[in-house]
Amino acid sequence: MIRVEDIEKHFGALHVLKGVSLEVQKGEVLVIIGPSGSGKSTLLRCINLLIEPDSGRVFLNGTQVNRRDVRPEWVREQVGMVFQSFNLFTHLNALENVTLGPIRVLGTDPKPAEAAGRELLARVGLADKWNAYPAQLSGGQQQRVAIARALAMNPKAMLFDEPTSALDPEYIREVLDVMAALAEEGMTMIVVTHEMGFASSVAKRILFMDAGRIIEEGSPEEIFQHPKQDRTRAFVGKILR
Amino acid sequence: MAVGATVFIVLLELILKFNALDPVLWKQYLPVFLSGILTTLRFTGIILPLSIAVGFAVGWARISRFRSITWPLSVYVDFFRGVPPIVMVIFAGVLGPSLLPARFRTSDLGINIAAFVLALHSAAYQSEIFRAGFMSVPRGQLEAAQSLAMTRGKAMRFVVLPQALRLSVPPLANEFAVVIKDTSLLAIIGGFELFGSSNIFTQQVLLSAGNQLEWLFVVWTAVALVYFIMTFSVTELLNAIDRRYHVKGLEAVSV
Repeated sequence: MIRVEDIEKHFGALHVLKGVSLEVQKGEVLVIIGPSGSGKSTLLRCINLLIEPDSGRVFLNGTQVNRRDVRPEWVREQVGMVFQSFNLFTHLNALENVTLGPIRVLGTDPKPAEAAGRELLARVGLADKWNAYPAQLSGGQQQRVAIARALAMNPKAMLFDEPTSALDPEYIREVLDVMAALAEEGMTMIVVTHEMGFASSVAKRILFMDAGRIIEEGSPEEIFQHPKQDRTRAFVGKILR
Repeated sequence: MAVGATVFIVLLELILKFNALDPVLWKQYLPVFLSGILTTLRFTGIILPLSIAVGFAVGWARISRFRSITWPLSVYVDFFRGVPPIVMVIFAGVLGPSLLPARFRTSDLGINIAAFVLALHSAAYQSEIFRAGFMSVPRGQLEAAQSLAMTRGKAMRFVVLPQALRLSVPPLANEFAVVIKDTSLLAIIGGFELFGSSNIFTQQVLLSAGNQLEWLFVVWTAVALVYFIMTFSVTELLNAIDRRYHVKGLEAVSV
């Protein structure tokens, strides 16, 4: 469903992605791990074209999308994204956050959009918080609203950029549970995370990235129990301790 | 208005023992007073919307990605912030008309050019207010909007702009009060707005025999009150907008 071929990205003198390729099948959950600065977030942003890769190709269902004649909006309608810092719209309440995309982008009428929005909020366990503003919600609640907001666009795939890294420990579980349920329902997901429990139980495959390259790829067991590369072993050793 | 008039009478009659409503004075002054108020309102009505439009456009353009637009605009802002408005008014009013072809030169051309320059002066300040508003919206808000497949235009309109404008309202109230009061600078080149026409009136009153010095106090208190009422109405209007669009949970931290 999503295929990335040999993409490169520079930020000024910084060479962030040095030829990265990956492929995700429909319904698959791919987890990407790696130290900060390894290019994981940049890679995710290249997939929905929030960042344009310098070279290489990004495919969505067989169509190359990093081309001048493809609108980035066309990609983003199909690939949702959830951010480390939630990025809920601070001036809108939870329900308005969820319905803004459908109403303003998809052209859904407000009534059905609201009904669908309430359903999504119920799905992430926040039916009663529909009229709360982001600043009135805990981090875990905000991130669940953010997931509902992305789902409201009916995406075919979802990108998660360290969705629990900014959360207090007591709120991590509720967000991971929502994500696990989503994976269960067959959503195609690429997740950048350091949550090893989640990665082991939900992902089929794990990529380890370092310094702009994919160093190693394998099943959770291969990566966590029997890493082949020294750098993977060093990193896994640090986060498992 | 009623409150202002009451304050005026109480202040002058009861405290200073002046005859604030002296019919001899008001018979002469009232037409000057009213036409002065109207002229001040007219200049404010031109300068305020113009300065908002230009200030907003410049503030927006200065956050754009195109360096070729942003640096001439920063020169514009620095210039208008650095030169006293009264000097600009004199330059514009005296020299402005001679820069235009003779057939455009009407008697009030200089004043209108000066009013235009006052608008540009305030716009320079307002552009910084709007720019600060835009810059205080975190980058993640735009990213989140774009990742919902919004175009840049929609992301601006539905996500960035509402947040930027909300942050701009309190400092704008400040600036609008300055704009209203600064219309009095037009008096220096013969603008017959409230301050200018009252100034000429008081000079005439002082020169003519049999008139009383205390009229000076009456006139200037009335003038001050009108400016106060005008600025107060505008700032109250903005405060009402601020309250109307208040976002729950974003209250300022009280210590």
